[in-house]
Amino acid sequence: MKINVDLNRCTGHGFCEGLAEDIFEVGQDGVAHLLDETPGEDRRDVVEEAVAMCPTKALSLHEEG
Amino acid sequence: MTQMAGTGLTTTASGNPDRPYDDVDLSTRAFWSTDMYEREKSFAVLRGRDTITWHPPFEDQLIEDPADHGFWAVTKYDDLVEATKRHDDFLSGPGILMENLPVEFVESAQSIIGMDPPRHTKLRRLVAAAFTPKQMRRIDEMIQRNARDAVTNLLEKAQANGGQADFVAECAELMPMNNINDMLGVPDGDRQRAMHEMKVATSWSDPEMAGDTKEEVLGNLFRAIAYCHELAGGLADERRGNPTADLISGLANAEVDGERLTAHEIGSFFVLLTVAGNDTTRQSTAHALQALADFPEQRAWLLEDLEGRMPSAVEELIRWATPIITFRRTASRDTELGGREVTRGDKLVMFYSSANRDERRIDRPHELDFSRSPNPHITFGGGGIHHCLGNQLARAQLRAILTELLTQAPEIRPTAAPELTPSNFFNIVKRQQCAPRP
Repeated sequence: MKINVDLNRCTGHGFCEGLAEDIFEVGQDGVAHLLDETPGEDRRDVVEEAVAMCPTKALSLHEEG
Repeated sequence: MTQMAGTGLTTTASGNPDRPYDDVDLSTRAFWSTDMYEREKSFAVLRGRDTITWHPPFEDQLIEDPADHGFWAVTKYDDLVEATKRHDDFLSGPGILMENLPVEFVESAQSIIGMDPPRHTKLRRLVAAAFTPKQMRRIDEMIQRNARDAVTNLLEKAQANGGQADFVAECAELMPMNNINDMLGVPDGDRQRAMHEMKVATSWSDPEMAGDTKEEVLGNLFRAIAYCHELAGGLADERRGNPTADLISGLANAEVDGERLTAHEIGSFFVLLTVAGNDTTRQSTAHALQALADFPEQRAWLLEDLEGRMPSAVEELIRWATPIITFRRTASRDTELGGREVTRGDKLVMFYSSANRDERRIDRPHELDFSRSPNPHITFGGGGIHHCLGNQLARAQLRAILTELLTQAPEIRPTAAPELTPSNFFNIVKRQQCAPRP
């Protein structure tokens, strides 16, 4: 799976960072950055939760291949 | 009436004269002068209607508009969450308060909380990094110190005064004031004055704080806002030449679409952060003291494992207190909410205090339960783009102050009924006498 951040929407609420600090990080520019764009399957649940929780609907998940 | 740029909607007109009103009163000063337990009786009736309900405008407002025919009351949890998430249908730009206030006042005070995308998106990013979970850990030492100092001050003041002190003035308001101003970069002395002026600016329904006549109230509101704009302007000028890591430096040196923020935009942002930073956590802390007294078995349960049980206790106290009672939205088009037809230009008022006691989503909502899990309260918002910027800060502060308080003064209790400020916006405890070591 591959995560995408829509930078036209993200305002750095940090819900995603709060759920998975090793994957998401809000930078000084006030938007989320991906520390790991393609996390392993074992992280699918938390990534899906971050996508669902995002207040600006800026996160999406794409299947690779 | 003033038109809002781009929307064609006015700040105050709403609805039409033919729509019948619900007979539950949400529009009188008398209603908003009662406490949250009394008001909840009315909200329970309205939630029972199972939809949104139409009500007359608030009586005797500072700004009267004959074209203001009322507002939709959003009292159900699910309706509030839906309205919050449909930010294209329900706008913040035309105003976020239930009452009509002068447009110049509102535009000088609300900044991003009263904006819609795309401007909202760009401005919120300027401050977002200061409020993330990781950043909260970086400033944890500051939060702990400010909590410790506030409790120490309370104990000293009580000791010098026969064992009693005002919990609000001597403790609850000090910690959030110092934290938000340490973050903003406002010096000691100025921060106390700014806090006081913002109490005036948010107390338009309280004669003691803002005056008796409409003229007095309007004059005091504008003077309070002008003070904060002047303070912010001076600090921003300083930080433009000598930037530091604080929020004012960030705003003073930021560029949006290739342009610096105007002095008015910086002032307005400063007012928003000052009010949101001071007035919310102060109220939650004050209400927490009363809740701990009203539910001694919950207090005992918490004291058995202060560290382990504090996070869930704080969530429950945040639900219980609901420091911000309402936010308003305005319909951008003819649409539907809760099965009712909403007309373009209609005001909707979301009642957070009601949604936080909605039996459909909160099990046993009238019981304070520190072990509640999950706790899906909507005190910080229903999840949309305006979700509370400072929610992590508020949580960290409440954990710190309650831990400090219950460690240093585990027997603390209120010694009189709280003095409340009538308001349909903040759930304000003005004063609360207490005995820290009875």
